[in-house]
Amino acid sequence: MKPRVIFGTVAIALFTSLLFYNFANSISTYTDFEQASGRSSTNIHVVGKWASDQPSGFSVETKSFSFFMTDEKGNTRRVIYGHAKPSNFEQADQMVVIGEMRNDVFYAHDMLLKCPSKYNDGREAEFERPMPG
Amino acid sequence: MIALIGKLSVSIACIASVLAMVFYYRSVQKNSQKDLFLGNALNIGVLVLTTVAMAGLVYLLVTHQFQYFYVYNYTSTDLAVRYLVAALWGGQEGSFLVWIFFTSLTTVGLMRWSPPGYRAPVLFFMTLSLAFLLSMTLGWDIGGIKIGASPFRTLLEEMPDAPFLKANPDFVPVDGRGLNDLLRSPWMVIHPPILFMGFAMMTVPFAFALAALWMRNYTEWITPALPWTLASNLFLFVAIFLGAYWAYVTLSFGGFWAWDPVENASLVPWIFGVAGIHTMLIQRKNAGAMRASFLFAIFAYILILYEAFLTRSGILGDASVHSFVDLGLYNQLLLFMLVNATLGIVLLALRYKELPGTKEPSAIFSPEFMVFSGSMMLFITAMVIILGTSSPIIGRLFSENPTPPEISFYNNWTLPLGMILAIMTVLGQVVWRRKVDSSESLARILTWPTVVTSVVSVAAIIVGNVQNPLYMLYIVSTVFALVGNGWILVDLLRRSPKLTGGAISHVGFAVLLIGSLASTAYNTYLLDAESKNYNVAVEQGLVKDDLGMPVIQTVNMFKLDLNQSKPIDGGWTVTYLGMTRSNIDRPGEQRYKIAFQRTDEPDGHRFIMEPVVYPMLATSSPDNIQWSVDPEVNAGILSDLYMYVASSAHLEKEMEGRQGTIPSASSDSDTTSQAMPKIKLKRAESRVLGSYKVTFNDFESLTAEELPDSAIVGVRAILTITDSETGEEVSAKPSFAIISNGEERYSMSQPISIDSWNLVVRFDEINPQTDEITLSFRGDRLPLVVTDDWVLVVADKKPFISFVWIGTFLLMIGFSVSIMRRWADLRKKPHLSSEPSPVE
Repeated sequence: MKPRVIFGTVAIALFTSLLFYNFANSISTYTDFEQASGRSSTNIHVVGKWASDQPSGFSVETKSFSFFMTDEKGNTRRVIYGHAKPSNFEQADQMVVIGEMRNDVFYAHDMLLKCPSKYNDGREAEFERPMPG
Repeated sequence: MIALIGKLSVSIACIASVLAMVFYYRSVQKNSQKDLFLGNALNIGVLVLTTVAMAGLVYLLVTHQFQYFYVYNYTSTDLAVRYLVAALWGGQEGSFLVWIFFTSLTTVGLMRWSPPGYRAPVLFFMTLSLAFLLSMTLGWDIGGIKIGASPFRTLLEEMPDAPFLKANPDFVPVDGRGLNDLLRSPWMVIHPPILFMGFAMMTVPFAFALAALWMRNYTEWITPALPWTLASNLFLFVAIFLGAYWAYVTLSFGGFWAWDPVENASLVPWIFGVAGIHTMLIQRKNAGAMRASFLFAIFAYILILYEAFLTRSGILGDASVHSFVDLGLYNQLLLFMLVNATLGIVLLALRYKELPGTKEPSAIFSPEFMVFSGSMMLFITAMVIILGTSSPIIGRLFSENPTPPEISFYNNWTLPLGMILAIMTVLGQVVWRRKVDSSESLARILTWPTVVTSVVSVAAIIVGNVQNPLYMLYIVSTVFALVGNGWILVDLLRRSPKLTGGAISHVGFAVLLIGSLASTAYNTYLLDAESKNYNVAVEQGLVKDDLGMPVIQTVNMFKLDLNQSKPIDGGWTVTYLGMTRSNIDRPGEQRYKIAFQRTDEPDGHRFIMEPVVYPMLATSSPDNIQWSVDPEVNAGILSDLYMYVASSAHLEKEMEGRQGTIPSASSDSDTTSQAMPKIKLKRAESRVLGSYKVTFNDFESLTAEELPDSAIVGVRAILTITDSETGEEVSAKPSFAIISNGEERYSMSQPISIDSWNLVVRFDEINPQTDEITLSFRGDRLPLVVTDDWVLVVADKKPFISFVWIGTFLLMIGFSVSIMRRWADLRKKPHLSSEPSPVE
């Protein structure tokens, strides 16, 4: 074989492995609060519903919005979201909080809300980035 | 009636397009002009029918025929006409019609503007796409198998089981659901049609590539296909740009690009298209480039179909951000993509051996090698983005229920790839324009650009205080791209301005890269001293929340009280000047006025930013209003000031009354003070408060019996309150006392209720110097007065975001110049140009 071909093949193989290695590390898996408490990652995704019977509110002092969420296994935990309350929060019938678990409190740096679709008829839903405000 | 015409038009058009394919096929096989003519006649019919169907849908939308599901679902009576028309592409079914219309228009255009040798096969492949697209809007039900979703279906057809329709099948809703408030934007009127125009034109290089493989005429297709490829890339790019700008200025995504699957899915075909343009330019001299041209032309379109599949099939819906609802088109969309992909791959594989082979490997400093390598880098970039976007599918290799990758995945990969691409644009341009045979001659040509680059980069790194080594390299490479390409551009402008398309585009690309990094990596939140101190305390773990847990999240906003100036980062002093409500475009909209002034020059230039917060009435229920923000951008060449109101006393007031808020010590007292409007009065003064007029007549001392124990002083205010609507008058005498327990003093005031008016008044305070008193009121006829008026503001400085837009415009200009040049080239080659010539 020509050296050019060998060099090319090795380069492609290296590149692909690195790409996939990095890709595998940057994705995470949807999980629940129980499992999340055992992990140290700051990129934990938990799917759940807003526990609307529990208190929730925006604190002007810490400038964060806190509420309780029930995950798909039925565990309810407090979630603190370091931004203003997303304006489409109450409408969401499902949400994904992304962040880390500390002492049974979930600190979310990001939140995706599954709202009745804005492009469509509301029978189905879509996730969208919460809007500040 | 109109709907029936629409439905029939689409159905007939779909059948006609299938028939047209048969004629085109025969025309290719028998080289028959008659079959070509018949196919063309049918295709012109398709264009007419599509136009009729589209006009019909617009008519239904504009005349509010809510018995039709599409009209009901996307419009309402309060919409302006432009949004009624825009609803044509506001929903999935209608947007298919628009896509069909542009594809049909392009197809008819190709009847004239394609070389006779390729005409029939090109039209065959165009019509294939047309037939598939038309099938998406059929709404046929053949033995339980549903084909397409008709934009003309009625409510009854959509929801046959709905109780209100069972009771009364002729039920017509008085009003529709309306267009989402976020889409009520001028961008909605222009962004989607341009995108579909880009999609439709992307079919042309695909059709040409397949036609060339079919006809075994492997080189000549490039000349006629090139202007179309450039044009489709231009439209796609403009659409991406409009979407990015829309996201930036009105949708408050916080930036222009979020690596969202929908955004990525339109970027990737564009990158493929650009790679294809590059390989097409060199394919005569490089066999690899010829093969790559076919691949890119085919896959740019397949990726458009892949995007349509991802966003319209509902596959992203479960796991990811942003997607359309599945209309039951999953299989049809998959088939559309697979048929086209299979055709492309099979034809290419069959003919692969016949493609002219490589004579000898290209030298490193040949234009072919450089441009080809550049295309490969574009290809790799596109593959990285596809990998990230396909995480719901590919991620299953690594994780059971994969999430989308972190944003850093995209950033970490595209940053070095962007650097390599930036450098390659210069090398490619230089070897393309000049004779370069060795690294010495290349070095000689690039001496001055390199010197200028070094000086500018070092200056930028020092001035910008750049510390990340990767960013330093990025700055050097992008500045090199800017200087190198700029230098080539200046040289070309003097000699042959018509050939500057490529150089302008490459300068634009460099500017765009600089703007992208600067505005995202160096985006800074402007904060006041209070927020900064708070953040320092958070980092030291000193802040505890109401459960006693340490707070770990820093804040990116600051609080402004009415009319109180505050210095913030960036050398600004900001003042919140108040809020006005308006009902013009969006009822209940709140417009905040925030003044910015340079701290060091108090009399200098001052401007007012007006961020808006509005209730999303179309998508909220009356008892649960959602609010959305419209950011305000103060654009500058060096940096943009971007801000929005995250919260405010007025907003809290509007949202008050929701159950179960977590009370915190300070916000509790805030709420009370907001709930009770306050007025200050001097003796013998009157004030109007909503529909009441309050007059403070005089003081009256409390008698000894009336005074509470250990009171130092006690007074009563004698008020007359007039109801300005009825003219009724009542007298009220709220009291105020100061009590001392020897060490501390307390004030005590008993609220007085005026039961017949459901009004409560309280004497809160007295200023002994001026005898001015403060009264607070509670009642249901009082205006929403917020006494403690504040806003929470998020303000970012986005450096050099203007470069993103300038780069974009340069790219648009560059593409346009190239299109004109390639079009002129085509005209010079009679056998390839549009003029019909006898084939026999």
